[in-house]
Amino acid sequence: MNTNTALVNETEDLPGDFAIWIFILAEMLVFGVMFIVYAFARSNQIEVFNESQLTLSRAMGTLNTIILITSSYFVVRAVSAIKSGDSRQSGHWLLGTILLGGMFVAVKLWEFNEKFSAGITLETNDFYMFYLTLTFFHLMHVLMGMIILACIVYKLKNGDYSAEEHFGVETGASFWHMVDLLWIILFPLIYIIR
Amino acid sequence: MNKQLNRFATIIWLALVILTIGTLLLGEEVTAGKTVMLSVLAISLIKGQLIANYFMGLRHVSWLWRGIILGYFVIVGGMIAIAYLN
Repeated sequence: MNTNTALVNETEDLPGDFAIWIFILAEMLVFGVMFIVYAFARSNQIEVFNESQLTLSRAMGTLNTIILITSSYFVVRAVSAIKSGDSRQSGHWLLGTILLGGMFVAVKLWEFNEKFSAGITLETNDFYMFYLTLTFFHLMHVLMGMIILACIVYKLKNGDYSAEEHFGVETGASFWHMVDLLWIILFPLIYIIR
Repeated sequence: MNKQLNRFATIIWLALVILTIGTLLLGEEVTAGKTVMLSVLAISLIKGQLIANYFMGLRHVSWLWRGIILGYFVIVGGMIAIAYLN
């Protein structure tokens, strides 16, 4: 009985819906396997990976990292605002997050366009196959996060969340932080280390 | 209380930005080698912990969840390091 109570309390302490945490762990596992596969694939073609990596813009990668980190900070402020009962302020922080998400997408599309214009495709070599696949897969998660946050903003405007009931805001926030967390490994792996 | 938490979150954000710029500067090293690679991975681990504990709010929950995120960064980062050191 005591053990059950303890388990329930621990679960309740997690921000947002417990189901999102299972989803987060599953997503992290999938990305984690892809990161490791990339690293070992590289060890067989070090020259190809190093030369191709140098064609990427580290400045743009860094810019996108700062954009995502800042967007995560905005989400923290949105959760803090709704906990204080300020749903208007919370909505503003989330709109800022969506805007930053849009900036991330724009930078990424600019990068993709630059590569496609240079005739680079998934079939050019293994590095570009990993670069395009991993970053596109991550980009889809950014877009999904933006949709989730837009739904939360809509519900905030409808007065569905309050200082007492803000489960949905925390759930969306946790998903967005996961997107940031994955980029924290993806960025140095693809753009920096060689 | 909330003001204090917001200020703390701002400090964490600033630390994350500084660590990101540090990663870029390390990446610009012409003689990028094993030390740079290990340093960049260590910075990623620190950034991951800052985001998980202070942005996601895991510092308030069971150690098990913090352990899972820390373990993830150690295992994935460790495997990447092994592949690069080979």
